[in-house]
Amino acid sequence: MAITAPFSYPESIKEKFTATQGLKFKDGSTVSSAEIWEFMTKEAPTRFPYAFDAGANNMGRFSDDVNFLSGIKRGYLTLTLKDRVMKEHAAGTPTVLVQGGQAMDAYYAAGGLPVRPGLVMQWARNMHEGLSLRQSETLGLNILESGRRKISIDACNQIAAHAAIDNKVVPIDLIAPFLCLRCSDMSFLVETHRNREHDIPRYLVDYPVDHENKPWAAEYIATELRELIAKIAALSGRTVTDEVIFDEIRLENRGRRIATEIADLWWGAENPPTNSTDFFGIAFLANDFLGDPVASVDLLEQSKIEIEERIRNNVRGFGVPDHAKRLYICGSCVGPNAHHAQTAGAIFVGRDDSWSCISVPVEEEGDPYLNIARSMLAYPYEQRTEKRAEWTAEQVRRSRADGVIFMYQWGCNYQSGVARMISDIVKEKAGVVTTFVEVGELGRSEATEQSTNRVEAFIEMV
Amino acid sequence: MGLKTLDKITAALESRPAELEQLRKQGKKIVGWLAYNIPEEIIYALGLIPIRIGQGGDGRLVEVGARHISTKNCVFVRQALGQFAEKTDPYIKQLDLVAIDATCIQLYRLEELINFYFDYKTIVLGVPRNFATTEGHEYFRKEVEFFTKKLELFAGTALEQSRLEEAISIYDNIREAIKTLYRYQSLDNAPLSWRQVSSVINAGYNLDRLTYLELLQELIKEIEKNLSAGTGSREIEARIFLSGSLIPPGDTKLIDIIEQLGGRIVGDDLWSGLNFFLNLNIQEPTPYSVADAYLDRVPHGSLPYLDLESDGRLANLKHQIKEFNADGVVYHTLRYCDAFTFKAGETKDVLGNVPFLEIHTEYSGSDFEAIRTRVEAFIEMIKSKKEIAELV
Ligand code: SF4
Ligand code: SF4
Repeated sequence: MAITAPFSYPESIKEKFTATQGLKFKDGSTVSSAEIWEFMTKEAPTRFPYAFDAGANNMGRFSDDVNFLSGIKRGYLTLTLKDRVMKEHAAGTPTVLVQGGQAMDAYYAAGGLPVRPGLVMQWARNMHEGLSLRQSETLGLNILESGRRKISIDACNQIAAHAAIDNKVVPIDLIAPFLCLRCSDMSFLVETHRNREHDIPRYLVDYPVDHENKPWAAEYIATELRELIAKIAALSGRTVTDEVIFDEIRLENRGRRIATEIADLWWGAENPPTNSTDFFGIAFLANDFLGDPVASVDLLEQSKIEIEERIRNNVRGFGVPDHAKRLYICGSCVGPNAHHAQTAGAIFVGRDDSWSCISVPVEEEGDPYLNIARSMLAYPYEQRTEKRAEWTAEQVRRSRADGVIFMYQWGCNYQSGVARMISDIVKEKAGVVTTFVEVGELGRSEATEQSTNRVEAFIEMV
Repeated sequence: MGLKTLDKITAALESRPAELEQLRKQGKKIVGWLAYNIPEEIIYALGLIPIRIGQGGDGRLVEVGARHISTKNCVFVRQALGQFAEKTDPYIKQLDLVAIDATCIQLYRLEELINFYFDYKTIVLGVPRNFATTEGHEYFRKEVEFFTKKLELFAGTALEQSRLEEAISIYDNIREAIKTLYRYQSLDNAPLSWRQVSSVINAGYNLDRLTYLELLQELIKEIEKNLSAGTGSREIEARIFLSGSLIPPGDTKLIDIIEQLGGRIVGDDLWSGLNFFLNLNIQEPTPYSVADAYLDRVPHGSLPYLDLESDGRLANLKHQIKEFNADGVVYHTLRYCDAFTFKAGETKDVLGNVPFLEIHTEYSGSDFEAIRTRVEAFIEMIKSKKEIAELV
């Protein structure tokens, strides 16, 4: 088997990169671009070699577009997550398990540090440094398997995060996600912690079905948000006034707005200004904030400036194929491999999951609890399936997609339940071809042929 | 022993589809309901005809359903979808409205699918997953009120307190009767088997509720008349308690295996079985009171509960195992039913010394032999334990 040389950032861009501004953080500290460069070219490749594996199967592989300098900073935020979380945790900030696809405003406002299952696993794997991709994956898979043995083989790979908490690989102080309707496993996995040796407190914020025109649904959530915030604040010691929550809402709204502006610019561009990895990274940043909303919003602003410049100069993102087929991706927690898709001639132009979360800003006046509740309830992804599909079809049209891939994980029962219906509606409303793919690889970068082949066959058909 | 009332129940069931046809011609409307927390009393009180739907055990229908949903969804949901797709079932094809509650979100998804693909008129009742809290109760009260309003519109009539009171009384009596039957089937000299009680429950899915109640009361009288005739069994038997995902009408695989191997089912905490009839105490004939009562009964496994010690579902399970003097628990989990599957290990831990066997299965027959082998070993183990205990 040929060994691919590790990915590295070329010295030729150093000067340009270090001339850019650094990043500001929520504790008021800053990091210069020279420090980021040092980290990403010297420290990180030694500590986290797996992240620099240039094999096409590496799902978390960095973008090849080294001239998109914000992408390097995004890599920095990703790889420093562990250090930042551990440092904050040691200083008394409670770490809170949440889930993807939910708002984070309440958690940060209460002085907590929300981490979704995917990031818990990244953090858990990073607790052992110096690992190759294979070693790092094996470590992750061992954690996953320990969870599946304990709970069920029917669980999706989110179970790994719960096992990492159970096995005390990472210190989590509170398990308290929102129960979005996307997710079949979260509520039951949170419940499993009641039968464990640890005594990590648990809380769930419910998410009612069919909530349209039902004010009591938002009131129900708002009451639970008060309790959630009180629980986090009790751990963090922060006094959480309405104004504190609004400050956080304003900051995160800013991130959401920049990301949607970027999406509009990107979609309107003659040439895709970034490749799929960089484009998706932007939406993710505005939904997750990677442990630091201040730094994330700062980076979103920088990303937007770069993208605007590229569009002005009609620059195409590195790796975007000629006459690329434009694919819109649906489904939670898993997506096709961007590198494979690019090799097969396609680019990803949108993702319903993260786009849904950033598409609804929280009202900045009134009752902040009710406002967050109402905004959550308005997420297009969490509406009745027919409505969600109509919104998706609209996104497909706006992004000028040529085809739609709905992907879901093994064990993701609610997404598997609606995959066909969404595909059928989007096909009819947006007039594009659609397919759905179930992914059974559960966190492996090897043995991915089945889903890769299906995606490539679909791209060919498009 | 042959119980004549059981034949009467069978006969009533046979004529029920034609009876419903007639009733529909007279302008009556049929509401099929599926899931775990639909307050049937309200449907009945509005003069609508409630039919409980959802069957299992039919691999062909499961495949029909799987054309519209993934094979990775619970098989009960897939079969129900198959039934709605085919519209040949004598009850399904006569439904004017389908009511589904969101206790299990897979069933909520089913509602969306039958509405979209097969044009069924549907109505959804939201259920709080934080069911034990004040705010959860408040939410559910509003949901039941909203549900009632929608049903009133559908029925073309307003809910009258006296009618609701009457309905509550009928349903209370049905629940009492089923509990009585459970007690009798578990006796040493039981006049009827668990399986027979189960088929009586299944008949209740479709029969007119008043007729059903009368038949239940007649059955109990008949049983009580014959009770003294039996003598206690001397045989060593394995008294099995069934727990886990529901075992709906038509799904007899596991029951057949247990009985063929000489096991005797004596109790359950299934939602297709006894749990459905337990601890439902409606204080007043109002939708709010109905809502509170539904939330306060034994909770369904689909509703997460974060404290082990105070979990009502587990407390009920332990209580019923004792009540029915069961020797072991067969914990039945349907594939992709996370609600019960994820709790299997924990349930085993909580039950401590009670022999416990998890059977993770689907409706296909491919695992029949594997299940048979495991159940056989389980029953043998229970019997030998009891034999040894008798010797010492
Ligand atoms: S894959 Fe599905 S079930 Fe698993 S965490 Fe994601 S949304 Fe939840
Ligand atoms: S609770 Fe389990 S068996 Fe019942 S519908 Fe839901 S997934 Fe299926």
